[in-house]
Amino acid sequence: MTRTPLRPLARILPARSKGENPDAIERENIRLRHEQMRDKSRMRAEGRLLVLGMFFFCAFVVVGVRMGMLSGSEPSEPRASAAGASILTQRADIVDRHGRILATNFETHSLYAQPQQMIDRERAATGLTEIFPDLNADDLLEDFTGKRKFLWIKKKISPEQKQAVHDLGEPGLLFGPREMRLYPNGSLAAHILGGASFGREGVHAAEVIGVAGIEKFYDKELRDPARGSKPLELSLDLTVQAATERVLYGGMKLMNAKGAAAVLMDVHTGEVVALASLPDFDPNDRPRPPTEGVPSDSPLFNRAVQGVYELGSTFKIFATAQAIELGLVNADTVIDIRGPLKWGRHRIRDFHNYGKELTVSKIIEKSSNIGTARIAQMIGVNRQRDFLGQLGLLETVPLEMIEAQGGRPLLPPNWSEISTMTISYGHGLSVSPLHLAAGYAAIANGGTKVVPTLLKQTGPQYGARVMRPDVAAASRQMLRRVVSEGTASFGDVRGYSVAGKTGTADKPKEMGGGYYKDKVIATFASMFPAEDPKYVLIVTLDEPVETSGDKPRRTAGWTAVPVAAEMIRRVAPLLGLRPEIEPARIAGITLTSN
Amino acid sequence: MSYLEYSVKSAPTGLRKFLYFNWPLTLLLIAVASTGFLMLYSVAGGGFDPWSAAQMKRFGLGLVLMFIIGMVPAWFWRNTAGVAYLIALVLLVAVELFGTVGMGAQRWIDLGFMRLQPSELMKITLVMLLASYYDWLPAKRVSHPVWVFVPVLIILVPTVLVLKQPDLGTALLLIASGGVVMFIAGVHWSYFAAVIATGVGLVTAVFKSRGTGWQLLKDYQYKRIDTFLDPSSDPLGAGYHITQSKIALGSGGWTGRGFMQGTQSRLNFLPEKHTDFIFTTLAEEFGFIGGVTLLGLYALILVFCFVSAMSNKDRFSSLMTFGLASTFFFFFAVNMSMVMGLAPVVGVPLPLVSYGGSAMLVLMVGFGLIQSAHVHRPR
Repeated sequence: MTRTPLRPLARILPARSKGENPDAIERENIRLRHEQMRDKSRMRAEGRLLVLGMFFFCAFVVVGVRMGMLSGSEPSEPRASAAGASILTQRADIVDRHGRILATNFETHSLYAQPQQMIDRERAATGLTEIFPDLNADDLLEDFTGKRKFLWIKKKISPEQKQAVHDLGEPGLLFGPREMRLYPNGSLAAHILGGASFGREGVHAAEVIGVAGIEKFYDKELRDPARGSKPLELSLDLTVQAATERVLYGGMKLMNAKGAAAVLMDVHTGEVVALASLPDFDPNDRPRPPTEGVPSDSPLFNRAVQGVYELGSTFKIFATAQAIELGLVNADTVIDIRGPLKWGRHRIRDFHNYGKELTVSKIIEKSSNIGTARIAQMIGVNRQRDFLGQLGLLETVPLEMIEAQGGRPLLPPNWSEISTMTISYGHGLSVSPLHLAAGYAAIANGGTKVVPTLLKQTGPQYGARVMRPDVAAASRQMLRRVVSEGTASFGDVRGYSVAGKTGTADKPKEMGGGYYKDKVIATFASMFPAEDPKYVLIVTLDEPVETSGDKPRRTAGWTAVPVAAEMIRRVAPLLGLRPEIEPARIAGITLTSN
Repeated sequence: MSYLEYSVKSAPTGLRKFLYFNWPLTLLLIAVASTGFLMLYSVAGGGFDPWSAAQMKRFGLGLVLMFIIGMVPAWFWRNTAGVAYLIALVLLVAVELFGTVGMGAQRWIDLGFMRLQPSELMKITLVMLLASYYDWLPAKRVSHPVWVFVPVLIILVPTVLVLKQPDLGTALLLIASGGVVMFIAGVHWSYFAAVIATGVGLVTAVFKSRGTGWQLLKDYQYKRIDTFLDPSSDPLGAGYHITQSKIALGSGGWTGRGFMQGTQSRLNFLPEKHTDFIFTTLAEEFGFIGGVTLLGLYALILVFCFVSAMSNKDRFSSLMTFGLASTFFFFFAVNMSMVMGLAPVVGVPLPLVSYGGSAMLVLMVGFGLIQSAHVHRPR
């Protein structure tokens, strides 16, 4: 910094020569310098003040603008009391594939009391007992006169009851709106919907939470306020579901079964069109889980999804399909079926003696255990396990209901060669009817895996290819012959060319140690129409006995098949399938009526 | 220019000083305080009890205090600033040791006739000490690191003590008003830049430390920040104040519902309706117009203080006036922002309007000092 000197010679010398005091010049310069410094600091201070002033001004403007914004905003008036208002009440509806309501909300009222605001406690207590006979006047009076400031009286009351309580004119009795879940179709599709109950409860609202089925699986989504009123669209068809349940119920009674399950699934999209499990319940009044007895016999138990069973001969088609796929056999290969087939200490027998040898096609048609076991031997342990795994039979089905997690297949602890042989005809591996539907869908749709779903789909959902189309076609032909000529002859529904496979498996004893002789799981796994299947239908009956003949008959051909046939007869038109005359085959058309 | 350099005789003396008070400022203070009485009257459902009358008494006492302090020459306050600061500091430590816990925080000392909040006292004495410090310090040393360190220490010691109480709002207020004095005094820009950078870093650290072993703030403070960032996340819990006050402001609209017609604030929706959230009552009953009018009154108070400070050639008086006026500004700016959901709820009262003795008296002491500086300015 260059400074001007306080005593510049250029000025001092002339000043001296004039006889003036040079100190005056110094003083003058000092004064000037001080003024400069003061100006400078003033400038700086003013700069700072300007900044501060700007900051304050901005703050004022921000506060003012904000105040204006808030004043201009529409006030959302709070309710009379905010307690409980935060509980979200709206829950989205659930509808079937055509938009018909399966679950919706219904406004009722709850009744509660604030005894401290009561005028005449005795009159209130007696008045309430007149309206609600199940209440006890003495207990109520005790509650009202005690120290309690608040008590629930009824969680749900009808409009008539509400009016009656209102007419009591008691200010200490108060109502709160209460939204509840309503299933207008009663027990229809009960197992799919599951049910809902109250979660957090406040005076002004109660949270409705899903407790089972799809209500629980999609609980968060259904309660999501962002969802608005957009309903959850299921793949279910209400009319088909109703027909399925009706026929299944009739069949269960007719066949004296203690339980039954049915799964109807679109083979291309994986959409579950109908799914029933009997006995069922009313989701509007969902029973409590039983504390005693076998849980799997409870009405809450979903046999179609949660129940895993050895499904018997229905599995045989998987063995033959794989053997054809691997090139080990074709439909006409002759297999030695002389029995019993001994393997270690195990013996594999057939239901009847079918002679010395059968073609692969006939093995399926007649349902020969020995023949299938021989084919399984050719396939081997690892290839069989891989194939069943690809079909999704070894893990849980990711169906959109929490119960699906419970339907975990039971695998043999040690998958040995004898396991391979027994699994080939459906023993030693337990899966749910839903698993079986998914497996049959792969055969039906030409060889690709589909994953069952409860949500409406827009198009085919093909997964990985599990077998060649020609293998699937050959398997379908065999399955068709099972119905037209084999064990499932009752399953022939005119015009709908049903294909399928029966399965009758002895029930294992609950305590272990072998199988019951007189308790079976009878299953019919079918697809229709056989030429180009659109749907698979699995019908499973638990412990059926058909008693019209000389001796009780339990095989699927006599029990599950007629039920399934009746079901197809009823639902196929509902599904929009037109009856067709089957292309004539050389073997001729069987015109049996049953 | 310091008071040593001008002729003392030119300043008014004796009772004549009374004529030289900053009367517009005094009238503004009375106007704001009267708004407060009105609001407290309304909040009480149309009664002077329990708040309005008490508040009037306090304000009267405060006015007397202001005049007494205003009569005392500014240089007396300059010379006693250090002592006053030390006393406030001792009281702060004392409150730490044997204060009463009020509203979950240890902030009061019971003096018998009133409850003293040393942190309030500290707001004044801190500004006084800083002003006299910069009055003493030669201008060219202002930005020297050593001479910057001293005021930073002066600010930080009480701040830490206040933070321990814990009272985050007052702590931030102390830093802000101290910073303003330093800023006006001419401390180099880079220091402020550094402090702001540190502040940003600290805030990041505070958020990062959440839930870890070295958590820097209390859970309730985090919760307040959360609610500030999203009040609707907890409308019935910590976000209750803000949601309700926003509703009140909204329902007031442009012209308000009219005096004594507010529902929000009078129907007990707001637990602190007579203290920190009194602005909602005003906004609801007198609407945007009422709110902006109060804002205008505050702005005018600031303008009069600033004009007085700028025309004051005495460095101490000028700095002190700026500092105290800024403290006042921070008070109502933070309170209003908090009520309107622009800032987290930190528990800062609306100056001169909110019910509360300690804050009111301390403010009036502050305005007394400003008056003193105004009356005794060099002429």
